[in-house]
Amino acid sequence: MSLELQLLLLAWGTLVGLDLVSVPQAMIARPIVAGPIAGAILGDVGTGLQLGVLFELFQYDILPMGATRYPEYGPATVAAVSAAHAAAGTLGLGLGAFVGLVTGMAGGLSLHALRQLNTRAVRRAAAALEAGDPRVLERLHAASILRDAVRAAVVTTLGLVLAQAARVYLAGTLPPHGVALLTVAAVGAALAAGAAGTLRLVGRGPSLRWFAAGVVGGTVVVWLR
Amino acid sequence: MSRPPTSARPRLVRSLLRLFTVQGSWNYERMQGIGIGVAEEPLLRDLRGEGRDDGVAYRAAVARGAHFFNAHPYLCGLAVGAAARAEHEDVPPDQIERLRTALCGPLGSLGDRLVWAGWLPFTSGLALIAVALGLGWSATLAFVVVYNVGHVALRWWALRAGWTYGAQVAQALREPLLQRATALSGPAMALVVGAALPLVAQYLSSALFGWTRLALAAVVAGGFALVWWQRARLTGVRLGLVLLAVAALAGWLWP
Repeated sequence: MSLELQLLLLAWGTLVGLDLVSVPQAMIARPIVAGPIAGAILGDVGTGLQLGVLFELFQYDILPMGATRYPEYGPATVAAVSAAHAAAGTLGLGLGAFVGLVTGMAGGLSLHALRQLNTRAVRRAAAALEAGDPRVLERLHAASILRDAVRAAVVTTLGLVLAQAARVYLAGTLPPHGVALLTVAAVGAALAAGAAGTLRLVGRGPSLRWFAAGVVGGTVVVWLR
Repeated sequence: MSRPPTSARPRLVRSLLRLFTVQGSWNYERMQGIGIGVAEEPLLRDLRGEGRDDGVAYRAAVARGAHFFNAHPYLCGLAVGAAARAEHEDVPPDQIERLRTALCGPLGSLGDRLVWAGWLPFTSGLALIAVALGLGWSATLAFVVVYNVGHVALRWWALRAGWTYGAQVAQALREPLLQRATALSGPAMALVVGAALPLVAQYLSSALFGWTRLALAAVVAGGFALVWWQRARLTGVRLGLVLLAVAALAGWLWP
């Protein structure tokens, strides 16, 4: 993969990482968006869509409320698509899922570290903030956003390096049935996490009946196709 | 009581643009407080120009605006608008602080139900269905556009409502349209994501045949049971990594 493509992926992963919490929360950080665009950068929208759908299911396991800690799947999906792109076919899905899940965990840890850095910066500026100095307030805010951009770039870089390593050292080492097992594990985990996360959101109230109706409707469409 | 500025729209627009960055300085001490202060500042600027106290009221209002706050990011505008309006109406400072504190819970809960557990999974579920049915790339584009129409409209409504109602902002939360949207979002999300799951299962398993399809069904059932009953310890990401490790090991050992 050329350096230009890697830099484009890095830029996209940074934007995606910034969107998750800081600016503008337009949901380009959702895997269903991050994946296909990473795929388009690599000229492989199909792989991007597949991994976008896979990580979107993992995303249903998360409710991003307040101070909760959660994996960051945006840059993770970009890295996953990069890993899967070179490993064509079913291997791509398993390899991409592995790279994406590890990157997602690293992204989650980095968010916690960023929030601690922000807390320290706020404490340092407490006197000026209590005096109502608008310039200090704005500078503090801008610096935090810049810090998040650097964090997103670092996480994406880590993911892309991991993707490169996976392509070089793992692709080609598995026999065909091993490749199939890896795909089964990736898709199975995503579906299980997505279903459990959705059911947790739905709860035991009246929405449960709507969920059941949806599952039946979706199954009928699958059967008819 | 001082009058609010007559041409508030440009300042509201500036405040709205800043609200898109409201979580940019999220931290464990003031949570969204700094972002809220930054978003509120354009609405407080005319407190400087009223010539009454050499900017003391403005600085005090800016300082209050940056205190602890935490709610749903899309609905923060309601608190920003309401607090800024209350500052213009010379509401006592402790009452403004109480207003902000009182808004955290309801705005967080409403936003979580309406957006995180409603509009977002609903539109994302529609996108998943569209991709599974073969619409491909245009599904992604449609998701971004449709989701953000609701997103931007909600942010703008929240800021306007806060600015309009001021300290009486609780009235805005009782608006019938908002109540209906909140009531509908749960069932609509459940229906759409429920329909998306089988379609996506078919889409992702299209390359699998024979025994691998049976294995997939077993992994989904077992994985679901584990994530459901061990939710405190086993997250989706951990399940995924464990299953991938087991699959890789089994693949290498399989003769």
